[in-house]
Parts: sequence; structure tokens; C-alpha cells
Amino acid sequence: MTADMPTAFWSGWIAVLTLVSLAGMVWLVWSVYFGRDKGQESKPGPVWDGDLKEGERPAPMWWIWLLFGSLIFSLVYLMLFPGLGSFQGLLDWSQGSRVAASYDDYEARFAGTRAEISAMSVAEIQNDSGLMATAERIFRRECAVCHGPEGRGQADMFPNLHDVDWQWGGEEDQIRQSIRGGRNAVMVGWEAVLGADGIEQVSEYVLSLADGVAANHPGKAIYDRNCAVCHGADGAGNPLLGASRLSDRIWLYGGDPKSIRETLTQGRFGIMPAFDEQRLDNTQLQLILALLVR
Amino acid sequence: MNGMWLHRKIEENTGLLIFGILFVSAIGGLVQLLPILEQDSLETAAGNTRPYSAIELTGRDIYIREGCSVCHSQQIRPLIAEVERYGPYSRAGEFVYDRPFLWGSKRTGPDLHRIGGKYTDDWHRIHLLDPRAVVPGSIMPAYPWLARREASAAGDITAKMRGLRRLGHPYTDAEIAGAEAELEDLLEIDALIAYLQMLGTGLGGEDGQ
Repeated sequence: MTADMPTAFWSGWIAVLTLVSLAGMVWLVWSVYFGRDKGQESKPGPVWDGDLKEGERPAPMWWIWLLFGSLIFSLVYLMLFPGLGSFQGLLDWSQGSRVAASYDDYEARFAGTRAEISAMSVAEIQNDSGLMATAERIFRRECAVCHGPEGRGQADMFPNLHDVDWQWGGEEDQIRQSIRGGRNAVMVGWEAVLGADGIEQVSEYVLSLADGVAANHPGKAIYDRNCAVCHGADGAGNPLLGASRLSDRIWLYGGDPKSIRETLTQGRFGIMPAFDEQRLDNTQLQLILALLVR
Repeated sequence: MNGMWLHRKIEENTGLLIFGILFVSAIGGLVQLLPILEQDSLETAAGNTRPYSAIELTGRDIYIREGCSVCHSQQIRPLIAEVERYGPYSRAGEFVYDRPFLWGSKRTGPDLHRIGGKYTDDWHRIHLLDPRAVVPGSIMPAYPWLARREASAAGDITAKMRGLRRLGHPYTDAEIAGAEAELEDLLEIDALIAYLQMLGTGLGGEDGQ
């Protein structure tokens, strides 16, 4: 807590100047108020409008007490809170400890509820509409910015979470892993290997996979040699590698011939950032899983 | 001696009055400002805070040029609501290489101090070019020209780094000599994203709780 404090010399400098100024103000107010009669002995002051002189009337008493009151307040404040050099104050208050105290209070109030939720299975949470509403709020705060407010994907880049295709697997443990550890999908660009004609043929073949494997398609040989190792001979994909399923009509980066060609040419590098416990704690993660697992 | 006597003395002597005014108004500065000039903790980098690279520095200047700090602050206050929403609260030592700092004063958009690493580069690219493509309700303007201009045209990077070194940023000769090469083939949007992705990542092991 003392890391941001001034050195001993400057600490003393601050304390002495502050206290001397305070004492000086007390003296000034006190002497002006109670010493006004003696002041006129030295020599007569200026007189205006016939009879108007300085120091004739005392300042009102409430004004004097207001001034003394604020001086006393600042003295008490400097005793309780940090301010007088490196003196921490009797309350030992700091901005950091205020945040820590807020978290302690939060823990004390909600630890029980949170433990209850963490212990619930995904199916149990799904049956509780109140918890599901909370889960949706967390989703909108943490996930919606990429996956869309409804989780239906957007920008031809961020996956729809409602369809049956899960690039990295849709089981509870697989989704938990995707969120906690993040995912880095790597599909390199194939232009140098396949050439423009090769890319044209493979993209046609890949688009036709939804209708079943066409044995005599010219793209099949190229696909089997280069693509099948990750995406499978029948295009079923492989969630261990994050290789998408190609044998259906769901396309992450767009399913028109032009988008498929673009994917093949320049490659795709989809990243799911990791959400550590600072950003999404275990209770919140459990709620999100209930929202996503089907 | 009493105050009325002093009052009269000062009132009748202009030179003394001027001196008195200067002296009294200097006290605040002597107490608040002078000790800070000697306070090491405000000059010491927190955690892994490091000087900006040539690319990040260019991105930062684009951030300033486009007025991002008019709508986005870069300071997370030590309050539980802020820490929950944005991440660990900001420390003084994280801004030692910010000249000037971009704390901002108004949040039309969210605070950006802990934006680094929160979203992917691709997300930032889409979002800067067309914010509504990823955040339907966003009121942020689009910045399409960032994807058309060369990053190296955003100012003389060598001169900037030399200037900052004179102010105490520990750039080596090799870093300054290689700065222009680093910016080669990069667009302004690349530099800005590099800056955004390193924002607030210097805290290291400390956390905000």
C-alpha cells in the first residue's frame, strides 16, 4: 500500500506545510476577529462617506464558526484518511482496499448461491427459467459481440451457435474447453499447391459433397490427396482439429462458389479467444454451457 | 502582533501585497506538485509495461488523429462495477510511456484500457470498417479509410521515436533504425489494431481484486 508514497523528506515537507498553513489560518481568523479593537491604536485608517471605517463591525459569529468548523473538519479528515505525507490515516483506507472490501462483501452475499449453481448439472439449469435468463444476460455481455445478440453468428466469420455444426465439438466438455482455453483454427491457403484450376475443381467438388461423394468428379483426386486428411474422405470434418464438416449445407465463411474459392485461396484462421476465470468465472461458465449444450 | 495590524500593513504596501498573494497561492503547488516531481513510483513502469513498438506507436497516433479518445476513456476506476465490466483497475505505472496519456474524460463508447487481447484482430478489422456488422446497435462511426492508407504515411516514425527517446523512452539505435522497415506493407488499420491489442496488457501478474 505504501508503494505510491513520497520519500521521507517530501512526506515531512507535505505534513509541515499543511499543518503550518492550517495553524496560520486559525491565527489569522482568530486575531482579525478578537484583535480588532487594538488595531485602531496605531494610526487612524481611511474614512469614507463621512463615517465609514474599516473594522467597525465584527463579522457575524456563524461565519467565524463556519470557518473554524471547516478547519477542524480538515484536521479530522487528515487524521482518518491518507493525505498528510505518507501517513496512512487511522482508518487505513485506500482505493485498492475499497475494491477488495466490495469483493469480500459480494462473496459473503452470493457465495452460497454461486456454489449451488456450480453444483447443478447443465440439464438442471436448463429447467430453471430464472437461471437461463441470467445466462442470456452473460451471453449478451461476453459473447454477443462476435456471435451476435441471438448467438446466430455474424459477419461470415463468427459461428452460429444454434445449428448442428460444432467446429470443435458440441459436447459439454468440448465447449468448456473451447471457452476456457480458446481455439486457433488453421487452414492454410492452397493457391501455391493447387493452382487456380485445382482450386476451381476442388471448390466445385466440396460444394457437391452435400449430395454425397461423386466418385468421378475431377476434384475428388485433389481433395483426397490434400484435404481429406483433416476434413475426412466424405467431408465429415474432425472436431479434434477444428476441421469443419463439408458434407452439409452449413458454411462458416460463406457457401457461395466465390467464398469457397476465397477460403481455398487464402486460407482461414478462425480464433476463439480464451476466457479465463477473471473474465468468466466457473459459475458463469456453467450458466453459459447450459445455454449452449443441447 | 495581530491580524488587523498585518491587514493594514499589507493594504498600504502594494509590493508586500503582491508578494503575499504569490506566497499564499504557491502553497498549494508546493504541497501538491513539488513532491510528485521527486516521486519514483510515478516514473516506474508497472508489471511488464514497455515502450510502444514502431507499429504500436503509429497506431497510437492514428488513435489520437481519429479522435478515439473523445468517446473512449482509457482508465478503469477502482470500483467493483468497473473491475467486473472492464478488468483490473488502471495503475499509474502503466502510463509511463504514454506521452500524452489518453485517459479521456467521457465514455460515449466503452472504456478501452483493457481491450488488448479481448477480441481477435479479425473482429477489430470488421468492427472498425463497419461497426454495425458485428454490433447491431452501435453508434460508432465507420473508419473505412484506415484500410486504404499506408501506415508509413501517418508521420515520420523515426523522428517520433527519436523525440521520445530524448524524453527518456529506452529505444535502442537498432529499434529506431528498423522502425520504417517494420511499417512496410502495413495499412493504418493494421497499426491501429496492433495498438489496441497491446492496450492494458502490461500489468503482468497483478490483478484488480
